[in-house]
Amino acid sequence: MTPLFSLLFDTLDARLKLRGPSRKVANKVFPHNWSFLLGEVALFSLVVLVATGIFLTMFYRPSTEATVYNGSYELYQGAQLPAAFESILRLSHDVPGGLLFRRIHRGASHLFIAASVLHMLRILLTGAFRRPREVNYHLGIGLITFAFVAGFTGYSLPYDSLAGTGIRIAYSELLSLPLIGDRVAFWIFGGDFPTGDVIPRFFVFHVLVVPGLIIAMVSLHLALVARQRHTQFPVRGVDGHKFILGKPLWPAQFAESATLVLWMAGLLTAAAVFIPWSDVALLGPYVPGEVGNNAQPDWFMFWIDGALRIFPPLEFSVFGLLTVSGPFVAGILLPGFVFTALAAYPFAERRRYGLRGDWHVLTNPLEIPLRAGFMLGIWSFVLLLSAAATSDILSRLTGVSIENVLWFFRITCVLLPPLLGLAINRYAKRRLARHSRTVARSEQEAQVAAASTEVAAGSKPKQPAQAPGSAP
Amino acid sequence: MKQDPKAELRVISRTEPPASKLNDSIVVLTAGGAVLCALVFAVALPLGGPLPLYGGALSLGLLLFGVAIRRYFTDRFPDIEAIELREIPDPDHADEPLSDVEALGPRRSFLKRALIASGALFGIGIAAPPIASLGPAPGGTLLRTAWRPGVRLVTNEGLPVQPDDLAMGGIASIWPQDAIGQERSSVLLLRLTTPPVAPTNLDWVVDNVVAYSKVCTHAGCPVALYREQDNALFCPCHQSTFDPSRGAVPTFGPAARALPQLPLGLDDQGYLVALDDFQAQVGPAFD
Repeated sequence: MTPLFSLLFDTLDARLKLRGPSRKVANKVFPHNWSFLLGEVALFSLVVLVATGIFLTMFYRPSTEATVYNGSYELYQGAQLPAAFESILRLSHDVPGGLLFRRIHRGASHLFIAASVLHMLRILLTGAFRRPREVNYHLGIGLITFAFVAGFTGYSLPYDSLAGTGIRIAYSELLSLPLIGDRVAFWIFGGDFPTGDVIPRFFVFHVLVVPGLIIAMVSLHLALVARQRHTQFPVRGVDGHKFILGKPLWPAQFAESATLVLWMAGLLTAAAVFIPWSDVALLGPYVPGEVGNNAQPDWFMFWIDGALRIFPPLEFSVFGLLTVSGPFVAGILLPGFVFTALAAYPFAERRRYGLRGDWHVLTNPLEIPLRAGFMLGIWSFVLLLSAAATSDILSRLTGVSIENVLWFFRITCVLLPPLLGLAINRYAKRRLARHSRTVARSEQEAQVAAASTEVAAGSKPKQPAQAPGSAP
Repeated sequence: MKQDPKAELRVISRTEPPASKLNDSIVVLTAGGAVLCALVFAVALPLGGPLPLYGGALSLGLLLFGVAIRRYFTDRFPDIEAIELREIPDPDHADEPLSDVEALGPRRSFLKRALIASGALFGIGIAAPPIASLGPAPGGTLLRTAWRPGVRLVTNEGLPVQPDDLAMGGIASIWPQDAIGQERSSVLLLRLTTPPVAPTNLDWVVDNVVAYSKVCTHAGCPVALYREQDNALFCPCHQSTFDPSRGAVPTFGPAARALPQLPLGLDDQGYLVALDDFQAQVGPAFD
């Protein structure tokens, strides 16, 4: 340690008694696997988002009032534009570095959501959600929900033509809530669309409420990981139920994380140089009553948009009291169902196999037939719905009529996911039967089974340098 | 100072990297390169240099500094694999109370229920009014638009329209005079090549010119596209399709209701006017 750092630490340590706890933190062991980095990528994207976001906030004007643009972008010189759109034009074309930081922010938002979703996929596939980590898994689902809200509100803020259309659809979705729809929509929008309140309110959600919640939840998420310790993949000869094998936080994990955050920021910057993410100048400002072709939301909303597209016409009134409509079923009930299924899955698995005790060692999803079936079923469903959101583009590219493209998705979205889920469920069951195995009911049972399989296969367990059983 | 023995690292394997001149040079060169990139960034950005220059410099600098850090750590520290005992939940505390102060006897347990109930009511009581203040009561807002008897149909530029302004098969985006841009009042005006049939209300058709709400009855997007090959109105958001020669009934896609038809007439100067507001619900379903 450098003398200055040493002095600073000693000064604090004399007052706060930091040495013991710091050493404990520095010695914390991190198991290594590339897939464990997905959560870190999400975390560091959040750091990049906050840093660039603060810069953007200095210039953005949350208002839809008509404002005259007098900047350097020729197409809009002297044009009356919504203030939000005008401020983003100014930020992008008249503030040094503005366009770069805006594009990095945009790229980081895509990466944040993508990495979070892949991280959740890893948790689900390997069984890291099992007891005692259900709480943290549910926190994660909450985080992804808020990441979607942050993404959607951010997509809306420029008030370009796509943003306005997206806001209009969100408004219609709120309206579609039976019985209370119009009230809830008016509460959130401050009146009938397009009110002057929607952009200021989305701004507050996007820069204060949602990031505040996300940062609080991420902190809790990490605190729980630290408290409950990492899961890890099975290592031969190591009792993963009792021990964690890996590298210490200092210096190995620190070096890896520091490298990751720098490389990630470097690649995001490179992407911002090469890819003109969401060039709002090309889209033009939102004008009520106008929308162009290719009206697609951001990719992470594709599955909901796809569901809205392929859902058959439906609208009926119940005793004249409330109305149930397609946008409600496809846009609210169905995503709610997917999230509920994901949240409930850990309990379903525990109940189905009568699982007992705590689980720390990750498993191949093919070892748990229910999980294999559920995962392939639900994710193929979400992916097919997402593909359905490109129906207009597919129709234009392939020359197949839009009606036929939509019918294709209507049929495949209903039939394919259950068939795929059942097929892999069957396959996993046969696979277990072939090796005359059953789903282990406790982690100890699973380890005994794994050991006997190894013996049967004639392989010798590799001895670690120090027999873990002898560790205190 | 006494160390917590549990904090000690239990090392399983330890490998020391061989000292390497090459590695030293890599650290120095990459770190130095990163500083150079920062310099380019710091000069090019304020001077209004091209984005690829300062963006590229920032990107390269971050990547190089990442290499420097990684190389530094692999050279400076041994590679250590360690093992850590998971904390086993301590069963000794399972039956202990959360606090050692116990509430007094059961005589007062009704107080607890009363306090919880009143706390909940109190919470709702002070939370509900601010939420209700967030927006006006919808009332009949969504049942009405800006169209009234005698209101002229105008273009985006505010010009009134006569039937002959539209070519045969032509289509125009229309607003009520004095309510341009009022989204739920937007209207599509079409001059059909063949006379419309039921369920189009033929009393509201002037010279084959017919007007429908432009707000999709599915999710509220503008039904902005007109497909000539089969004379269909088409919503680009979710592909709802409507037949303008038959009362704009939905023919395909997720919309379940026809686009409402605007009661259309002529004023004494020959301009198109609304005879009344829409007689059916405009836009998507609510409540």
